[in-house]
Amino acid sequence: MPIFRFVIQRLLQAILVTLAVTLFVAFAIRLTGDPAVMMAGDSSGVTEEDLARIREALGLNRPFFVQYFDFLKSLVTGDLGESFFRGSVRDLIAIAMPSTLLLAIASMAVSILISIPLGIHSALHKGGLSDQFIRVLSLVGLSFPNFWLGIMLVLLFSITFPIFPASGFDSWQSLILPATTIGIILTATNVRLVRTQMLETLSAQYVMVARAKGLSEWSVIYKHALRNAAISIVTFLGLQFGNLIGGLVIIELVFNWPGMGTLSVEAISQRDYPLLQATVSILAIMIVAVNLAVDLVYGLIDPRIRVA
Amino acid sequence: MSFSIPKNVLRSALVATALTALSPAISWAETTLNVAQRQDPQNLDPIDTFRLSWGSIASNVFEGLVFRGEDLQLQPGLATSWEFHDNETRIRFNLREGVAFHNGEPFNAGAVKYTFDRLLGEQGAKGPQRSNYTSIKEVVVVDDLTVDFLMERPDPVLITKLAGYGAMIVPPKYIEEVGEEAFDMKPVGTGPFAVAEYTPTVNVKLVKTNTYWNGEAKVDAVDIRFISEDATRMAELLSGGVDIALNIPKPSVETIKQNDNVDLVAVDGPTVVINRFNTSTGITTDPRVRRAIAHAIDTNAIIEAMLGGLASPISSAQGEKSFGNASDLQPYAYDPEKAKALLAEAGIAPGTEISLDFPGNMDTFREVSQVIAAYLDMVGLKLNVRPHENSVYFNDIHPNGKTGELYYFGWGGWTFDFDNTAYLLYHSGERQNPYIVDEKLDALLDAQRATYDTNVRQDALQAVATYAYDNTLDLPLYNEATLYGVNKSVEGFVPAPDDRARYFNVTLK
Repeated sequence: MPIFRFVIQRLLQAILVTLAVTLFVAFAIRLTGDPAVMMAGDSSGVTEEDLARIREALGLNRPFFVQYFDFLKSLVTGDLGESFFRGSVRDLIAIAMPSTLLLAIASMAVSILISIPLGIHSALHKGGLSDQFIRVLSLVGLSFPNFWLGIMLVLLFSITFPIFPASGFDSWQSLILPATTIGIILTATNVRLVRTQMLETLSAQYVMVARAKGLSEWSVIYKHALRNAAISIVTFLGLQFGNLIGGLVIIELVFNWPGMGTLSVEAISQRDYPLLQATVSILAIMIVAVNLAVDLVYGLIDPRIRVA
Repeated sequence: MSFSIPKNVLRSALVATALTALSPAISWAETTLNVAQRQDPQNLDPIDTFRLSWGSIASNVFEGLVFRGEDLQLQPGLATSWEFHDNETRIRFNLREGVAFHNGEPFNAGAVKYTFDRLLGEQGAKGPQRSNYTSIKEVVVVDDLTVDFLMERPDPVLITKLAGYGAMIVPPKYIEEVGEEAFDMKPVGTGPFAVAEYTPTVNVKLVKTNTYWNGEAKVDAVDIRFISEDATRMAELLSGGVDIALNIPKPSVETIKQNDNVDLVAVDGPTVVINRFNTSTGITTDPRVRRAIAHAIDTNAIIEAMLGGLASPISSAQGEKSFGNASDLQPYAYDPEKAKALLAEAGIAPGTEISLDFPGNMDTFREVSQVIAAYLDMVGLKLNVRPHENSVYFNDIHPNGKTGELYYFGWGGWTFDFDNTAYLLYHSGERQNPYIVDEKLDALLDAQRATYDTNVRQDALQAVATYAYDNTLDLPLYNEATLYGVNKSVEGFVPAPDDRARYFNVTLK
C-alpha cells in the first residue's frame, strides 16, 4: 500500500506544520504588546484597575495555553470566536476571503496571459535579440519591490492618466491595477520557467518526430511541446501560491483592497489576537493545503516522487 | 390604459427596501461627498472607542447634551440649558423638545438616563470610555425633558466631556431591539446623518436625515472610505477619487500645495510634542542642565525645516487653543552661548553623552531627533538617539522609567483642557509620569479638579505650566497642525482642530 502510506504521511506532516504555525502565531502576537493598553488608548486617567478590567473582559488574564486551546477549538469547529473590537471573526473573514481569492485568481490570470506567449517566444528565438530583451525584462521584474511597482502604476494610471481608480473595491476597474501589479511580479518568474520548460521539450525526441511527420509549427508547439511543458508549469504555479499570498498582503494594503492581507495588518496594529490568529492560520492552512494537493497529485502522476 | 408608477414612489420603495432598518424619513443619495480617512474605527458604538477615526464619522451621526463645534466653544446641544444646584453636587439639564433618533424613537430624559446607565454599567466596563465619566454617580429623570446628574465628585471638565465620545446619547429601545452587537455596526443617533451601511475595512456610508431638528445637511450622502496606506489616500485625493482626505502625512504636504485642484487646510490640533527630562537620574537632575538643553535647540528652525511650518511653537505641553495655556510664557529662546555658559556653570564637561528615547515608528520625530542631536553637539553634548519598538516604549521604557536623560512625549486630549495632559505629566503616581514627585504640582492639580470655577481652574493650570517652565521640567517642541486635503469643488468645509470633521454644511460645486 505505498500510495496509502504516502498520503497518510503527507497528511500528518501537513497537520503538524499547521499546528506549529498556529502555536507560533499565538505566541508571537502576544509579544507585540498589551491589547488592553491599545483599547484604553489616550483617554485620560486610565488606571491599572481599568487595564485589569479590560484584560479580564477580553479573557487575557487566563494562562497562555488555555487561551491557545480555546483558539484551536474555535479553529477546528470553524466558529473562529470573537474579535476584540469588531464582532465575529468568521463574518469578517467571510467578507475578506472572497476578495482575496478574486485578486489572487485575477493576478494568476494576468501572469499566465503574459508569461506563456512571452516564454514560448523567448524559447523559439533562443539567443536572439527579443529573447535577450525578455530575459533582461524578467530580471528587472524580479528586482522590483512589489509595493513600489504598485505605487508607480497608481501614479501613472490614476493620477497622470486617470484611467483606473487608485484604490477600492467598487467595480471591475478597481481590480485592474492590483491584479496587474501582482501579475507582473509573478510573470517575471513564470516567463523564465515557461522558457526553460519549452526549451527542454522542444529538444525532446517526440517533438522531432512531430516535426518529421510534417505537422505545422503551430501544432508542434502548442499541441506537443506546450502540453508536455505544462505539467511542470502547473506544478510550479501551485507552489507559487505561497509567494502569491505573501505578495497579496502588501498589495492589498497599497490598493486598499478589503481582503485577508488588509484584515491581518489591521489586526496586528490593533493587537487583535483572535482576528490575527485566525487570519494567519487560515492563510497558512491554505498554503499547506495547496502544497499538499500538489504533492499528492504529482505523486499520483509520477510514481518516482512517492518514494522520495 | 397605461399605468406608470410615479418615480418618487418607486424611489421611496427602493430606498425602503435597501435601508430596512432605518426609518423611511431618509432621503436618497443624489449628491455624495467622498471622504478618505486613515483608520477604520472598527466599531461605531460611542462607548467602545476612543479613536479619532470614530470622531470624524460619529460626530455626524450622534449628539451629546452639549455641542462643541469647530470653534471649540461649548454650546447647547441636546440640552438647551444646564445649571448647578446643591453646592454643585447636582447638575440639572433641560432637554430639547421634539428631537427624534433616526429610527423615529423620541429623544427624552429616559434616553439620557439609559445612555449613562449603560456607560457606567456592565456594558461600559468593557470599553475605554467609562473611566472618563466616573465622576457621575447617577442620572435621575425629573420629568420627560429634565434630568439631574448627581455627582460622585466635582468634575470641572464634565461639561466639555458631555460634548464628545462616551457621552453621545443613544436610543434605548433600538439597542434593546437589535442588541449590542448590531448597534456596534449600525448605530442610530440624533445627528444630521444616519448610518446607511458600514462595511468593516472598506467604508461607512452616511445618508442625511430630513428629520434633523437643526436643519438639513446640504449633501445627500457621505461615503467615508478607510484607506490606511498614505500614498494611496493621497493618490485618491489628487486623482479626484475623494473630495476630502483626512490625516495628511507630512511628506505629502508639498505635493498637495502644488496641485491645482486640491487645497491644504491646516488648523492647530490638540497634539503637542515635547521632550521630557529625566529629573531623577543623570545630569538632567540639575535644572541648569535642563535649561541649557532648552536654550540649545532652535525649535522655530525645526518647525520651518522639518514640519514645513505646519506647527506652532509652544512654551508648555499645550497649544494656544488649550484651556490653561499661559500666554505670557515665551518659548525658550534659542541661545547656544547661554546654553554653553549654563553647562559650564553646572560643571558638565564638553563631549558628555546623553540619550533620547522615543518610539521608532514616529517618522517625523525620528528626523527631528537627528536635528536635536546636531544642535546639542554644537553646545558640547553628544546625544545618542534610541528608537524603540512602539509597544516596548509605551509599555516598558516610558512608564517604568527606563529612559535616558531625554524622552519623547506626544499627547493631545480632544477636550483641549490642560488638565488632561498636565495631570498625567506632573501628578505623582501617574502611569505616564515616571520621575516627577512634587507636592506643589500635586496640590495645584488636585485643586483645579475640585472646583467648577473656571477662573480658579485657569489660574491653577497656568500656575502648573509656569512652574514646569521655570523649572524646565520639559522641553516643549511644537503643537502639530491637523491637516486636511480638500478638493476645490468642496465648499463650506470648516476644519475641525480635534479631527471631528463635520459634513453638515459642506456643499459640492
